[in-house]
Amino acid sequence: MILGIETSCDETAVALVTQDGEVRSNVVASQAELHARYGGVVPEVASRRHLELVGPVLSEALERGKATLDEVEAVAVTRGPGLIGALLVGLSAAKALAWSRRLPLIPVDHLHGHVASLYLEPGALEPPFLCLLVSGGHTLLLDVRARSGYHVVGTTLDDAAGEAFDKGARLLGLGYPGGAALDRKARDGDPDAYSFPVARVPGFDFSFSGLKTALLYVVRDLPADELERRRADLAASYQHAIVRALVERTRAAAMELGGQPIAVVGGVGANSELRAALADATLAPLPLCTDNAVMIASAARYAPAIPFPQYLALDAYATAA
Amino acid sequence: MLILALDTATDVATVALARDDEVLGERASRAVRVLEDVEVLMGEADLRAADLEGIAVGTGPGSYTGLRMGLITARTLAISLGVPVAGVSTLDALAAGAPGATPVVDAKRREVFTLVESEPHCLAAADLEVEPGRAYVGDGAVRYRDLIEERGGVVPPDDAGEHVPWARHHARLARDFGPGEATDPIYLRAPDAERALRR
Ligand SMILES: Nc1ncnc2c1ncn2[C@@H]1O[C@H](COP(=O)(O)OP(=O)(O)OP(=O)(O)O)[C@@H](O)[C@H]1O
Ligand SMILES: [Mg+2]
Repeated sequence: MILGIETSCDETAVALVTQDGEVRSNVVASQAELHARYGGVVPEVASRRHLELVGPVLSEALERGKATLDEVEAVAVTRGPGLIGALLVGLSAAKALAWSRRLPLIPVDHLHGHVASLYLEPGALEPPFLCLLVSGGHTLLLDVRARSGYHVVGTTLDDAAGEAFDKGARLLGLGYPGGAALDRKARDGDPDAYSFPVARVPGFDFSFSGLKTALLYVVRDLPADELERRRADLAASYQHAIVRALVERTRAAAMELGGQPIAVVGGVGANSELRAALADATLAPLPLCTDNAVMIASAARYAPAIPFPQYLALDAYATAA
Repeated sequence: MLILALDTATDVATVALARDDEVLGERASRAVRVLEDVEVLMGEADLRAADLEGIAVGTGPGSYTGLRMGLITARTLAISLGVPVAGVSTLDALAAGAPGATPVVDAKRREVFTLVESEPHCLAAADLEVEPGRAYVGDGAVRYRDLIEERGGVVPPDDAGEHVPWARHHARLARDFGPGEATDPIYLRAPDAERALRR
């Protein structure tokens, strides 16, 4: 059994997953409410909270999995990318846990983790496939040939899709983090009420910054009472533009790669319109779209384990090497 | 009682292994490598993690990231090994290593952490009250050597051992061992974002 720890951003998460990809427990303590009043994740606030939460979350993961630490055979942890101070809390905890029990440590890349949310039972996905990874910090098209990794075929040139959702939600006064709120608001709106431009960039890359500016102009020019009335239409139209860009690019890339099956992972993968538009694709289970430790423990099954005690000087990384 | 002591609140992270009043070994490196030092000490003493009976940890004040690494290490070891934890302020450990001196830890942004009437405080380096003839130790004292010496204070040479919060002192000062989760960091400053919000 693998115990996974994830603290790269504002979720403190611990999970237990078996070598066969069976989820024994999945505990996620979200700090979203804590950061809402700042309008975004504050690194120092997040790190302080991780320190408070890792212990209780770890205990709860064991309890819910009806397991003891004696059954843990390896410790998996997110090494990066993410907030460095936050990552170091999880990494230090993982090292202490592994060292004290003479276990191997498996450092996991957070993005490999998102992809590995597809490798769990029942219904674990077998490569090859084309993976759309859409999260708060990344928008990637990945050519996945083996469970141990991937090859990047497309990325965003500016904002990530999740960032576009969050910024749009803020402009529409829907709070933070806004992706899920915008998704809910959009259900009552007309996706064709406004036409937002989606930048066409060459290859399989994405660009979302123009979209946010377009929404800003529309919102700025609307009288306050009118904004209130059109909020759902704006949300629906804005979301539609993002989803259309994602779907078009993804389908085109899949064709180009010889008709590969499509899969979707990451926080924006929870979006209802995206899920409907790619209903034929393999979609990460809803609870595993946003950050969690199940995906980290899952990825660890396909990443090199560092034997005891060779990992004791391991450092975290904020951005991909 | 076999105690593992560690302090990662300043740039020089220290670890010590002590049994009752006897120091079995002590090392210094960086916060990210602190367990590597622990492993060396345990090996030298022919001991294993499972032999530990208590953890003494530096609670700062100091570098927030470093401090948290030490505390989460102590707390996780406590959960894993079923042993209690005792917190010792980094300033108290520094003071214990240099009797009669005032500990001063660099708090960055031209501030220092120091003891004022035995209590930890954060103040502007310029506001540090210097008693002529008195010794000042810690990385803050080194950083503000000129200011302290101008006011008549004494700062040992930069490479003097007194500037490091050696973990042997944490092992000796440790009292009231309890649950790891009850051992809290001494931050002394709210996050910038929170202070901005209050304005
Ligand atoms: N239903 C939804 N519709 C659209 N966006 C959503 C939805 N639910 C969550 N999101 C967005 O997903 C993002 C969070 O996803 P995730 O937790 O994977 O990102 P992250 O871990 O912060 O970033 P990264 O993985 O790139 O480091 C946020 O931007 C959030 O607004
Ligand atoms: Mg993520």
